[in-house]
Amino acid sequence: MTFENAKLVWELRWDVDWVTAVQFIGNSRRVVAGNRRGNMMEWELPEKLEGDAPDPVRFYEGHSNSVTKLRCIQDGSTLYSSSFDHSIREWDMNAKDQGETKVVLNEGYIYQSQFKRYSKKQEPMECDVALRKDSKKLGGHREWVNVMELSKDEKILVSGDDGGHVVFRDRASGKIQKSWNVEGWVHAVAISPDSKQALISERRPLVFDSAQRRALKLWNVEESKATKDLSEEFKKMYLPALAWSPDGKTLLVGRGEEEEGKIWMLDAETGEKKKELEDKHQYGVTDFLFHPNGKHFFSAGRDTVIRVWSLKDGTLVKKLGEPRGGQFKDWIHAIDITPDGKLLAAADMAGQVNIWQL
Amino acid sequence: MNFVNSRYSPTVSIRSYLLLLALFYGELWSEPLRKVIDREVSAGWKKEKLEPSKLANDETFLRRVYLDLLGMVPSYEEAKAFLEEESEDKREKLVDQLLSDERFGKHQMQIWDLSIFTRKPANPSFTKDRDRFKDWLAKQFNDNVSWDGIVQKMILAEEEGSAMFHVQYRNKPEDETVAVSRLFLGTQLQCARCHDHPFEELSQKDFYGMAGFFVRLQVLQETKDKKKVYTIGEKSSGEVMFTGDVREQKPGDKGEPVKPKFLLGDSLNEPDLPEDFKEPDYKKIKKAPYPKPYFSRKAKLAEWMTSPDNPYFAKAAVNRFWAQFMGRGLVHPVDNLTPDSKPTHPKLMDALAKEFIAHNFDLKWFFKEILLTKAYQRDSAGPGEEATPKWYQRARVRPLSAEELIASLRVATRFDAAESKEKSLPNATKSYMTKIFGEPVDGRGNFQGGIHEHLFLNNGSQLPGIIRAKKGNLAYTLLNSENTWGGRMDELFLSTITRTPTEAERNRMVGYITASEDKREIQARLEEAIWTLLNTSRFRFNY
Amino acid sequence: MNSYCTPQDHINRRALLKGSLLTGAGCSVANFGSLFGADEVTKTAQKKGKRCILLWMNGGASQIDTFDMKPGRPTAGPFRPISTNVDGMQVCEYLPKMAKQFDKLAVIRSMKTGSPDHPDGIYHMHTGFKMSERTPHAEIGAVISKYCGNLDADLPSFVRMGPCGNAGPGYLGPNYAPFSLKRDGSMPTFSTNNLKPEVRERRADLFRFLESEFSKQHKAEPFEGHRLAKERAWRLLRAKDAFDVSEEWPKQKDRYGDTNFGRGCFMALKLAERGVPFIEIGHDNYDSHANNFVCHKANMQQLDPAWSSLLIDLEDRGMLEDTLVVWMGEVGRTPYINNRAGRDHYIKAWTTVLSGAGIVGGQYYGSSDEDGREVAENPVNEGDFFSTIYTSLGIDPRKKHFWGKRPVWLTPEDAKPISAIMS
Repeated sequence: MTFENAKLVWELRWDVDWVTAVQFIGNSRRVVAGNRRGNMMEWELPEKLEGDAPDPVRFYEGHSNSVTKLRCIQDGSTLYSSSFDHSIREWDMNAKDQGETKVVLNEGYIYQSQFKRYSKKQEPMECDVALRKDSKKLGGHREWVNVMELSKDEKILVSGDDGGHVVFRDRASGKIQKSWNVEGWVHAVAISPDSKQALISERRPLVFDSAQRRALKLWNVEESKATKDLSEEFKKMYLPALAWSPDGKTLLVGRGEEEEGKIWMLDAETGEKKKELEDKHQYGVTDFLFHPNGKHFFSAGRDTVIRVWSLKDGTLVKKLGEPRGGQFKDWIHAIDITPDGKLLAAADMAGQVNIWQL
Repeated sequence: MNFVNSRYSPTVSIRSYLLLLALFYGELWSEPLRKVIDREVSAGWKKEKLEPSKLANDETFLRRVYLDLLGMVPSYEEAKAFLEEESEDKREKLVDQLLSDERFGKHQMQIWDLSIFTRKPANPSFTKDRDRFKDWLAKQFNDNVSWDGIVQKMILAEEEGSAMFHVQYRNKPEDETVAVSRLFLGTQLQCARCHDHPFEELSQKDFYGMAGFFVRLQVLQETKDKKKVYTIGEKSSGEVMFTGDVREQKPGDKGEPVKPKFLLGDSLNEPDLPEDFKEPDYKKIKKAPYPKPYFSRKAKLAEWMTSPDNPYFAKAAVNRFWAQFMGRGLVHPVDNLTPDSKPTHPKLMDALAKEFIAHNFDLKWFFKEILLTKAYQRDSAGPGEEATPKWYQRARVRPLSAEELIASLRVATRFDAAESKEKSLPNATKSYMTKIFGEPVDGRGNFQGGIHEHLFLNNGSQLPGIIRAKKGNLAYTLLNSENTWGGRMDELFLSTITRTPTEAERNRMVGYITASEDKREIQARLEEAIWTLLNTSRFRFNY
Repeated sequence: MNSYCTPQDHINRRALLKGSLLTGAGCSVANFGSLFGADEVTKTAQKKGKRCILLWMNGGASQIDTFDMKPGRPTAGPFRPISTNVDGMQVCEYLPKMAKQFDKLAVIRSMKTGSPDHPDGIYHMHTGFKMSERTPHAEIGAVISKYCGNLDADLPSFVRMGPCGNAGPGYLGPNYAPFSLKRDGSMPTFSTNNLKPEVRERRADLFRFLESEFSKQHKAEPFEGHRLAKERAWRLLRAKDAFDVSEEWPKQKDRYGDTNFGRGCFMALKLAERGVPFIEIGHDNYDSHANNFVCHKANMQQLDPAWSSLLIDLEDRGMLEDTLVVWMGEVGRTPYINNRAGRDHYIKAWTTVLSGAGIVGGQYYGSSDEDGREVAENPVNEGDFFSTIYTSLGIDPRKKHFWGKRPVWLTPEDAKPISAIMS
């Protein structure tokens, strides 16, 4: 695969606030995104990848603060969301809707035009959508839940918060199986395919104070103990993106938070650096994603350019998009891919979901 | 004109004729710059009704000029040589001698290095170690490369060792714009980065227009002999993106590319790239040299910036160099020349710039002209407490920089002549001193008597360690001198504060040192005396 | 015996009234402006023992994320407000301990100031005047140390740690220059001396003798600054035990937070107990042009326990009525959020907080509009703010000094203290 013919098919506009998370729902044409307000929206993508961007169909009400991650299980029945509102919620994707509501898709633009001189005046773009509420609220966190991941076998849901609390729970029942505290704030987590280990990066973003913290460690989940401390290798780096390859052999580590977004591939066994990738995201990495073909992976960052890499040797295969902005660029917060690897969705800070055909 | 029948002798008449010519065509007899300076500065005193202080005596002049040109006090031998010299033009001879001293280049380099990199350089992992650049820059000053030449070389960065200026701003064309404007054009652009300048004519477009000259630069790093070596390349494409007032930038704003434009001047005329042009992949290039760009913006910038027609370059330069010696620019602060800023002596400013250009930006010539004026050679004694008088009626007072202090301490104590295992100051001492003495002024250049340097001097063991008698150094020499103690005071004072002691001082000192007969006590007291002299204002300041 | 001229020695009344100074030793000393008519007011303020502690939020704290929250608005950000111990008043959820001290606070939400950047903003908010090269203004610490302090005390009257002001003592002269501790409140390096006291003394005397000869002719300010700093360094050796809090700290560090700022606040309490009239503790770094929320969260987690414990301890010791605690930065931050998840500088409407020294707590003064873009009511500028501070400390805000021949006042002519928050 060369991705030579990859192209941007639609920009699903949802200009209310930054779009911060995105997930395809199982094998369907459904895609759900979350934003900084805590709202979630669903679209159904048409079969034919052409024409105008479709309007959203459903609004998910529940979270009261930014949605940080969305994860859907493979059969498309249940969606999980983590948020700054200290909760993780479960959404039944096949439940009945609980009403209807209106959304204004260009609310952000209209608000801004009060203060900024835009050349075009816009009328509000109203849209009727179904309304659905969450089916379950999972506790266990008392701070912003920054990270949430599903294990490969989908039996475990991992989450971490800014209070340093890491939680492993049984996904089906929602019950907490293991939890422990790390010293800093949990910045990113990657879980091994056999669910036995976790790679966790920590931070406490102070500038000059001695209490500042940046750390990266490998943990044994059962014993809740750190087995390897890789912090020295990544001294003084914020690592907002981590990933564990599905074959269990490679760890991906991405630097970010406005520092230069370099990416490293580590040997999962030893923790040693195998390679530093040759290209980087200006201003930082935000997310990693593995292609279902097991041969490629994607990275997104604070420069609206999604990069496609070869998992075997870390070479850059393709860049999707251009950096957008002035001295500082807009961000892609998160990316997801359909199980057949044909479509890529990107949560774009500029209030939209970008759909790419690969 | 017929002279033969005149009442005056022909030669007198010819002289008066020539005098008349000179009056009409003043340029034929161009006044030496030093006379222009003195004339204008005195006019300033008259206008402000100020009494200038007396002329500095030889001792004062000697120390001041050594510090200004070489960055260290004169050694005992050097001081004696000058003070004993009897010729009328000894001050001019001294200036000539110091201008050709090797230490001159190093000191001027030090001054510029501090301006360019400050104590906390950007990108420290690359710039902290910049000995090659320092050597290169010192050589430029010693070879008396003209100022426009030096600036051009720094921008073009083609000579070995000259690349470090750009390395500091790797991938940060906006930061480089601020630095270049401040250092070489005397203009503070940083406000215009985020919004149109609130007071001056400068707008954001001006800022980004200048940034366009730097956005295509590439830095190549190689390792040669275990040292990092940098080369600068330039791409043929790439633009600065501009999104308007930063406070109003919203996600989704794409930004428009800004073409390079000379500051408050014309846009750059660039040829279009040919249709089939392919930009080489700079990430793949691992060895120097980089390929040449299709069109070099940096070359155009270097040319425009140092051109005699550039309205800022010469003025910013003369103002800065003037401030270096006279304590304060004709426009203050030196990096804030705006179309509205008024120099205190406007005619002088014009004359300095004009002559500097006419002499092809010759630095040694320019410095010499300033140093031989009466304006420069005033004493700093007098009423009034400003450190850097605006009208130059008194000589300026400024603290020695950390580098000057370290160098002067070595000279004064004869550290290098001492037979000891350490041939250089211990690193801890140097780093303490740079940290503690590095920023003794507040943000506006006013000296702040910080308590920290005194804690270091009073309580630290470093300074006493440097002073302690070892064969060859000052303390040892004085202890073993054959002179009377009274006589040794001349050497003591001259070595440390470049001055002969008054009778009162001499007596007091001798009394202090020889209060006891015990040899160890005498040594301790002598070392304390040296310590004290090195702690007085007369050592701490350049006045 | 000191044998060199100090401005405060040997002054006779007639010389004072004439405005020119001839000391007893006959040398003419520069008029630092510190002596013109100061006596009466100084004695009053000193008798009352007024003090000021300045909590300086370096970089500019975001008002919308701390005290002036805008819940529900598009640019409010992810922090949520919580109620305080005063009905109807809210603070950010990350200042829970300060929420219980709200009854001590006067929160000025309508700061409208004139210097948007760091060097100029720090200067303006430390002196009350715009940075200009004509007059070297005296910063708040120098003014308060002069009017509420005692030059003869061994402890310096103007102590600071962490990032702080950049104006210095200005026209008040180097006598009022600050003494800087290290970031964690410990003494600067080289604070101990191994020499015998008699050696130290004789060396000092020799120094004074040499300096006096020189100063007869040379009047420029740096020389005096140099001498005074040296004297202060010597005096400090006698007083340095005051800075050693290592015995008490282990019991306090859980309350104040085991951080540089926490320790600094505790140190400020101890120094204030010993009569130091001005202590400034700087907290780094609020300049969040990027990643504003995580930055402020981390900072507030340090600020909250330290500030609240300081207020509680001052109150417990009965010191709060004589101690003004000031909370401010150099600028506020924009209501809108940029594409770096940051807020940029903003001076059109922002917040400062005062408490103690007769300030009536538990109230807001002034307000900003619904999004925090403009001041809605009662704008307060730097002059007004300083006028309020000085008045609360018994200092005449229109006190006149001289820089050379030019008169300078402590606050600008149109500055008015905010009487609504003063008792």
